[in-house]
Amino acid sequence: MTLNRQTPQMRVDATIPASAGIGLRSPHQRAVLENPGRVSWLEVHSENYFGRGGAPLSYLDAIRADHPISLHGVGMSLGSVDELDMAHLQQLKQLIARIEPGLVSEHLSWSSFGGRYLTDLAPLPYQNSTLKHLEARVSRVQEFLGRQILIENPSSYLEYQCADYTESGFLHELACRTGCGILLDLNNLYVSCHNHGWDADDYLRELPANKIGELHLAGHTLKHVGRRQILIDTHDSPVADAVWQLYRAALRYLGKLPTLIEWDANMPALPVLEREAAKADAYLEACYAQAA
Amino acid sequence: MHKLHEIQRDFSRAVWQTSPALPKGIKAGGTLAWQGLAIYRNNTRIGLTEALRDRYPVVNRLVGERFFDRLALAYLQAYPPQSSVLLWFGGQLAEFVATFSPAQDLVYLADIARLEWYWHEAYHEADGRMLTIAKLASLDPDCYGRMGFDLQPSARFIASRYPIQRIWACNQADCEAEDIINLGQGGCRLLLFRPALEVEMHSLTDAEYRLLTALAGGSVLAEIDADFEVGAALQKWLYRGLFTDFFIR
Repeated sequence: MTLNRQTPQMRVDATIPASAGIGLRSPHQRAVLENPGRVSWLEVHSENYFGRGGAPLSYLDAIRADHPISLHGVGMSLGSVDELDMAHLQQLKQLIARIEPGLVSEHLSWSSFGGRYLTDLAPLPYQNSTLKHLEARVSRVQEFLGRQILIENPSSYLEYQCADYTESGFLHELACRTGCGILLDLNNLYVSCHNHGWDADDYLRELPANKIGELHLAGHTLKHVGRRQILIDTHDSPVADAVWQLYRAALRYLGKLPTLIEWDANMPALPVLEREAAKADAYLEACYAQAA
Repeated sequence: MHKLHEIQRDFSRAVWQTSPALPKGIKAGGTLAWQGLAIYRNNTRIGLTEALRDRYPVVNRLVGERFFDRLALAYLQAYPPQSSVLLWFGGQLAEFVATFSPAQDLVYLADIARLEWYWHEAYHEADGRMLTIAKLASLDPDCYGRMGFDLQPSARFIASRYPIQRIWACNQADCEAEDIINLGQGGCRLLLFRPALEVEMHSLTDAEYRLLTALAGGSVLAEIDADFEVGAALQKWLYRGLFTDFFIR
């Protein structure tokens, strides 16, 4: 396959439509490239494209010609007390310039301490001092990148004693203070509600609806730990029925929004992901019909 | 801020198991807190182990999954990620394998690990355009001795006392070739590079290895002590796209 390198080729508009997209992972790259336009938009993990060249970036350039792309980061460690990694931000900025994404997002979490990376999304205590810390860092990132970012609610397996805010209240404040948007992951919300006994309706009501720019859907796993049942955000299976229900409830409240199907482990063939996306599209249409 | 610092310090220690104490400030405390922390610890351990396995499929196949799990666990205690970018995690595995006592019987394992890392690096390395014959045609033959070449940014050389190319080839997922390799058959000198999107691996003669590593080190032709037909070798590698440019010094 020959590909034009770094070509400012004709590209579709960058805007992410209010329809269902899928998370693009390397096993599906070729299939998407060879069947353009079957999915209305795609999201990739930004850090997977931090290489200096080669096939991943060339394929992404080519895929971008036919699809709007969203860049989703997992490594900025926004909530960490470590200094912001400016080299990381610089690489992200270059990738943004190259790909022209419709959306750029990160997580409400931290993942490094003392320069050592957990490569996981660890939870934050939702205190006033944490909010100030996040406010400064999100503002710095947005200023450096010259654009708005969306911040995603994490899935979590523990909470801290000291909290001045609920998670949704914290996100609300953060969005109002920095102008960042919110990426609402409904699977994460479902998982965290189960694990901590939160109420999903209360959570939704506490979020500023006009700041939510994207929704995520994914599969999770039930794990028995002692006598407890903990939900783990595994991204290794279809979206659970309960999460589809939550999705429908969220759409009634929020209206149509770009919705992403994420699947990262035990990955199925592309048509399975396309079917999940079609299901989300059907709910989006039903929501629209109801509103009209 | 102080509190956030303490929370992250203690949490990080608990994940890396450098402290047996339960981090302060976790709601519910006791068993429930440990259960929650164990999930984060597993996520880190499993996530990094699988990232390493993806990067080193031949090492994994040679030692088996369970041994690889132990190797990975020891590795990530010794070399925890210094960056959130998983692409660059695992670059010291060859050095680590060489000192990992349970693997000492597999004398070629460190070289295989290095080969796999070079492959990975070459795959993600910067793209280089190919030098064309046309560009060389205009050159005055008097300049040849002062001429040097820039190699593809992806070019990596490896010399091993063991037949690692055959070991590597026989342990590819799609390989059905014979699986008995005589370690005494001798070593090999390899060049990996990426002329376009696919990484290529080439076996080099001793003379070629000396020539190409000298060029990679910036030598011009007059400085290279070659006892074979250099012109033919240069032409061969030019056609294969190894050179991106030339210079006269």
